[in-house]
Amino acid sequence: MSCSPFDLKDYFLQELPSSQRVKLEAHVKTCLTCHEELERLQLTGAALFSLRDEEIPQRIAFVSDQIFEPSPLRRWLSGFWGSTARLAFASAAMLSASILYFAATRPAPAPGAVASRSPAVATVAAQQQIQQQIQQAVSNAVTEVEARQAEKTKQLVAYIEHQNVETLRSVRWMAGELDANRKRSQVRQMAMYVQPGESGEVK
Amino acid sequence: MIFRAVEDADLIRQATRGNVESFNLLVSRWEKRVYNYLLRITANREDALDLTQDAFLKAYQNLRKLDDPGRFAPWLYRIAHNEAYSMFRKRKPETDVEEIEPEATETKITVGGSSVFPIELSLAVASALDRLSTDQREAVVLKIYQGFKFEEMAEILSCPVSTVKSRLYTALELLKLELAPMKARGVS
Repeated sequence: MSCSPFDLKDYFLQELPSSQRVKLEAHVKTCLTCHEELERLQLTGAALFSLRDEEIPQRIAFVSDQIFEPSPLRRWLSGFWGSTARLAFASAAMLSASILYFAATRPAPAPGAVASRSPAVATVAAQQQIQQQIQQAVSNAVTEVEARQAEKTKQLVAYIEHQNVETLRSVRWMAGELDANRKRSQVRQMAMYVQPGESGEVK
Repeated sequence: MIFRAVEDADLIRQATRGNVESFNLLVSRWEKRVYNYLLRITANREDALDLTQDAFLKAYQNLRKLDDPGRFAPWLYRIAHNEAYSMFRKRKPETDVEEIEPEATETKITVGGSSVFPIELSLAVASALDRLSTDQREAVVLKIYQGFKFEEMAEILSCPVSTVKSRLYTALELLKLELAPMKARGVS
C-alpha cells in the first residue's frame, strides 16, 4: 500500500498536474516504499516498450473512381444538410428575402391608415367608433320601444272600440226592450180602459 | 511565401471536399499506429490489416460527420475499436465480448526491437499482455503504446473515465507482478 499523497500510477502514466508531480517526486525521495513502487512501475513500462511497433505489411491507399464518387452537387448537398450552421443561415436568408419581397410588393397604406397608427389618434378614433355604436344601439332600442308602444296602443284602441260597440249594442237592445215594454203597458192600459164598458163591470 | 506543415485538420478539410489524395496522406500518417493498435488487441496480423483497411474506409465514408478535426485521432480509434469488437462478435457470437481472449501471440508477434532488450523479455511481455482480459489489454495499448489521455480513452472505449482507470490500474498491477521482477533480472 502506497503512502504517497497522489497516485503513483497517475504519476507513471503522466496524468498528474505539474504541481502534484513535484510534490510526489519530493515524497518519493524520502519514502523508500513509494520509491520502490515507482521503480517497479517504471521497470514495467520499460519492459512493455520492449515490444516495438511493427511496420504495416501492406500500405493502404484509396483510389478515386468517378463512378463511385458522388457528384459535386451531391457532395455539396450532403455537406449542406450535414451542417446545422449552414441550414440556419439559409433559413435566415430565406426569411430576410421574403420580408424584403413583401415590403417591396405590398401597396403603400392610405394616409388615414398611416395616421391611425398614431396611438393618440387611434384612441380618439376608437372612442368615436364606440360613441357611434352606443348611439346606434340607443336609437335601435328607442325605435323598438316606440314600435312596441304603438302596437300596444293600437291593441288598446281596438279593445275600447270593441267595448264601445258592445255597450252601444246593449244600450240599443235595452232601449228596444224599454220601448217594447212601454208599448205593452200602453196596450194593457188601453185594454183596461176598453174592457169595463164592454163587459159591464165598474171598478 | 510562408511554409507551414500540413496538419491533419487541413487534410481532413480537403478530403471532405472529395480530395482522395489528401485522405491517402492522412492514411499514411496514421496507418502504422492504427495497425499496431489493432494488432495488439487482435494478436493476428491478417485481422489487424483487414480491420485497419475497414477502419480507414469507414473513416473516409463518415469524414463529414467529424465535427472537430482536432478530435480526429480518438474518432479514428473509436472506429477501429468498433471494427475489432464487431469482428470478435462475429467470430464468437455466443461468447460475451468481455470474455474473448485473443490467440496466443508468443509466436505470432515478432519482436522488432533492437538488441538492447533480451528476446526472452519481449516474449515475457507478449505473454503477460496475453494474460490480461481484452478490455485491460486494450486500455494498456491505448495508454502505454498510443499515448492517449484518460478522457480520450473514455471516448474511444465509450465508457466512463473511472472505468478506464480501473481497467488500466488492474492491468498495471498484473503486468507489474509479471514483468517488474523479470525486467530487473533481465537488465541486471
